[in-house]
Amino acid sequence: MLLELNNIYKWVQSGGQKIFLLKDINLKVEEGEFISIMGPSGSGKSTLLNIIGMLDVFNEGEYNFLDEPVHSLKEKHRSNLYKQYIGFVFQAYHLLDELTVYENLEMPLLYKKYSSSERKALVADMLDKFNIVGKQNLFPSQLSGGQQQLVGIARALISSPKLILADEPTGNLNSKQGEEIMEIFKELNKDGVTIVQVTHSEKNATYGSRTINLLDGRKI
Amino acid sequence: MIKNYFKIAFRNLWNNKLFSLIKISSLAIGLSVSFVIGLMVYYDFTFDKFHPDKDYIYRVTTEFVTPEGSFYNPGVSFPLGDALKQNSASLAAVAPFLTTYPLHIKNTVTDKTFKNPDYVIYADKGFFNVFKYRWLAGSKESALESPNQLVLSEKRAKKYFPNTNYTDIIGAHMVYNDTINMQVTGVVANFTERTDIVFEEFISLKTAHQSDMTSAVLSSNWNGTNSASQLFIKTSKNANAKNVQLALNKLAKEHKDPNEAEFGNERKFYMQPLQKMHFDTNYYTFDFDSELASKSVLISLGCVALFLLLLGSINFINLNTAQATQRAKEIGVRKTLGGSKKQLIYQFLGETFLLTTCAAIVSIVLSFWLLNIFSDYIPAGLSSELFAEPTVIIFVVLLLLAVTFLSGFYPAVVLSHFKPIAVLKNQIIATNDKTSLRKYLTVFQFIIAQVFIIATLLVGKQISFLLQKDMGFKTEAIASVRAPWFAMTPEKQQRLLTKIKAIPEVNKVSLAEYPPASFSTSATNTSYFDDTNAPVHTELQLLYGDKNYLDIYGIELLAGRKQNNDSITEYVINQTYMRMLGFKKPEDALGKIIKADGEQNPIVGVMKDFNQRSLKTAIKPLAFVGTGGANSSFKTFHISFANVNGENLPVTTKKLESAWNEVYTDEPFELVFMDNTIKRFYSQERKTALLLNWATGLAIVISCLGLLGLVVYTTERRTKEIGIRKVLGASLLELNVLLSKEFLSLVLIAFIIAAPIAYFGIDYWLQDFAHKTKLSWWIFAVSGVIMLLIAMLIMGVRTYISSTKNPIKSLRTE
Repeated sequence: MLLELNNIYKWVQSGGQKIFLLKDINLKVEEGEFISIMGPSGSGKSTLLNIIGMLDVFNEGEYNFLDEPVHSLKEKHRSNLYKQYIGFVFQAYHLLDELTVYENLEMPLLYKKYSSSERKALVADMLDKFNIVGKQNLFPSQLSGGQQQLVGIARALISSPKLILADEPTGNLNSKQGEEIMEIFKELNKDGVTIVQVTHSEKNATYGSRTINLLDGRKI
Repeated sequence: MIKNYFKIAFRNLWNNKLFSLIKISSLAIGLSVSFVIGLMVYYDFTFDKFHPDKDYIYRVTTEFVTPEGSFYNPGVSFPLGDALKQNSASLAAVAPFLTTYPLHIKNTVTDKTFKNPDYVIYADKGFFNVFKYRWLAGSKESALESPNQLVLSEKRAKKYFPNTNYTDIIGAHMVYNDTINMQVTGVVANFTERTDIVFEEFISLKTAHQSDMTSAVLSSNWNGTNSASQLFIKTSKNANAKNVQLALNKLAKEHKDPNEAEFGNERKFYMQPLQKMHFDTNYYTFDFDSELASKSVLISLGCVALFLLLLGSINFINLNTAQATQRAKEIGVRKTLGGSKKQLIYQFLGETFLLTTCAAIVSIVLSFWLLNIFSDYIPAGLSSELFAEPTVIIFVVLLLLAVTFLSGFYPAVVLSHFKPIAVLKNQIIATNDKTSLRKYLTVFQFIIAQVFIIATLLVGKQISFLLQKDMGFKTEAIASVRAPWFAMTPEKQQRLLTKIKAIPEVNKVSLAEYPPASFSTSATNTSYFDDTNAPVHTELQLLYGDKNYLDIYGIELLAGRKQNNDSITEYVINQTYMRMLGFKKPEDALGKIIKADGEQNPIVGVMKDFNQRSLKTAIKPLAFVGTGGANSSFKTFHISFANVNGENLPVTTKKLESAWNEVYTDEPFELVFMDNTIKRFYSQERKTALLLNWATGLAIVISCLGLLGLVVYTTERRTKEIGIRKVLGASLLELNVLLSKEFLSLVLIAFIIAAPIAYFGIDYWLQDFAHKTKLSWWIFAVSGVIMLLIAMLIMGVRTYISSTKNPIKSLRTE
């Protein structure tokens, strides 16, 4: 088992009232799964994804990741954990505009103390795998949306994480580009990478092995 | 990693050209001013640091404590040197010496004459025991043992004996003033480091007994103090300086002058440490050409540098935190990809350092230019070569690190605290950034700029007030020229006088000493004995001149008459002295007798008060003495012109010069105009004004750059708001008011805080002046308006651009 959420609650205080973002969420994710989280706007999809990605905290409940109790870990341990095992893909790509494709791919490795030759090899590998060798010296603004998301995925994958978290990865793309991206996810999943995606699209959800539906912070 | 940081930093700078330019230029201004001022401080604080025994060397000077205050003389009575030599075991060396100003020196080998050699002293080997010179020829032990021996510095040796080996110079003969025959016995290397020990020619002290210094040496007793007769001592390493001072006190007591003691005057010998000599305004150094370094000036300069640097750093902080939202995405991404807070802080500090370094490079270039502008302040020996000294380099690096930390740390901390998900979901924008701190900092900037503006206007007002205020005598169209004292004969003097009188543009000529207001004074101690009241002892300033003197300067007699003839000393006193003597009406003072130097001098007239020096000082008791009773030969010709204006002035001057040249063929003609002399009284104030002008200008530039940055940022941030308001029907004017309001209130707050600060600061500065200008309210108002106008101009341009934008565009992009 990769991760396990038990009775997760998250709320915010607003005018003396608790507004629940997540209510009593229970979720088990095995290695090799491809899960889609669906639901209308404001149902708590992204919040759940952020909690899984350890970018956000919850108010109540337990979270075990590879048998480590995330809820009781210190900030530093937690960030080490997600640095090592989790890769993020964003709807708005979030590539650094000031860096070239090559440098964007290299950046996560810089924070993980890889040697310069290792970095070169890994980046070259990724460029190759995603067929973007020719674009390595371009800046994000010189790429199409699909290409940018490709780089985003490549960046998430470069330090070979166990889990990829994708927040509406096709949200800013046209349908053809979106399809291509989903195909890539499918391929990755086949290779053994666990994927959790948030999506609005029924069609994209079908790429996954399991769908979780949320409404007003509750699983339905 | 580092490479990556630099890449990001550089590309960030490049993409935000305007902001980078603002940040770099404001830091560069602050830094270049700091560099220049730092160099000046460093220069003045590193004088005479190289002597191996610097902590044991003292100059013995004299302080006269009188009931009217202390007077200082760098000299000591000549016998003190000998007394110390015999007396003390705690002294390693005693070096009495006499400064002298020979007219010329002749090299008998080449028969060449050199005029006015400077930095010549009579000294003995004690001098070379105190100061360690490197001997290029001859030796310390024998060089100045006998009369008529001469040691030259390397520089002088090269000048007098070009292309000659130093050893070959030994034995050559030089003649001072046509009469004193000297034999060169040594050549010493000049000090290469910064020093106030600037002497170039050393004549053996024993020569003094037979030369022009005879009077200074022979007639000098324990009661006379001549500033030409000075004394250096070096204490032994194990001796206590206090004991030496005690020995000096004892000598002063043993040899006190009973006459002086009667007046309550006391003489003290003061040990001036070599390390203090450079800044001690009581005693001066030996180099009269360069102005004495002033610690207070250096301190105020330091403050200016600090303020400008602070202003630059504030721009940096303000713009960086303002830009934070632009960098937020990068921070979020970096954090999710594993960057820690610490790494991010380092990254941002690194960026700041890069910017600071860019600014430093720009500012080094700028400082060469500034060194030129401030050349009035900068000692001649200070050049940009100082930049190469290791201490200076270390200082520059430390300064850069300090500035980096000061201006980079806060933004780095703010930026690195962003929560990644908040950032990535765009929640951070606009609402919760640290606007309040930015406001405080902006207000602080404007306070400084505002204080500078007010100070500039008030100092300018005071200076023009001083220049325009009536001195009490005529200052326009009057000039004086001083004849050389060595070439004076009554015969030549009369010839020149006749020639000058013959020039049609000359109204009147007077032969006299100093003008009514000048840098030079002569004074004497006087006593007035009344039948009823206590006697009045006071120092009386004396003014000498012939019958035309008072007429030329338009000094009015209130009672009595001028001197009748040249053979009796008679006083025409000023009102201040009259009042001091206890007379209400000028007529009452006539005929009274003033005792001075054992003579009885009658008061024959009372003249109106006038200022004898700058208006900084009050009017002192003064007497016009006429020719002083003796048939003394005055050296200064005072000339008043008639019908002279800017056009025919050069012609008149030419005529005077040719008259001069007929009488004094070899001597330079230096005509001094009275109004120029008065201007020179205020050279220090005008320097302050120049400095303030620059500080103000730079402070305004930096603050406005910062304001521009903030306005650009705010309007960009509020693009959407502007769009919505426009769609809803707001007019251009309303939008401009809306956008400017925020900043104008900051300027106003700054003014309210700055005005009292400036008021008290200037009030303090004005305390040095006996005559003060009024601190008028309109100066404050005008300076406030100036600041407001400048701020509005900057904001107006920017807000106009953004409010004229098409709202459709801004709303779509948001």
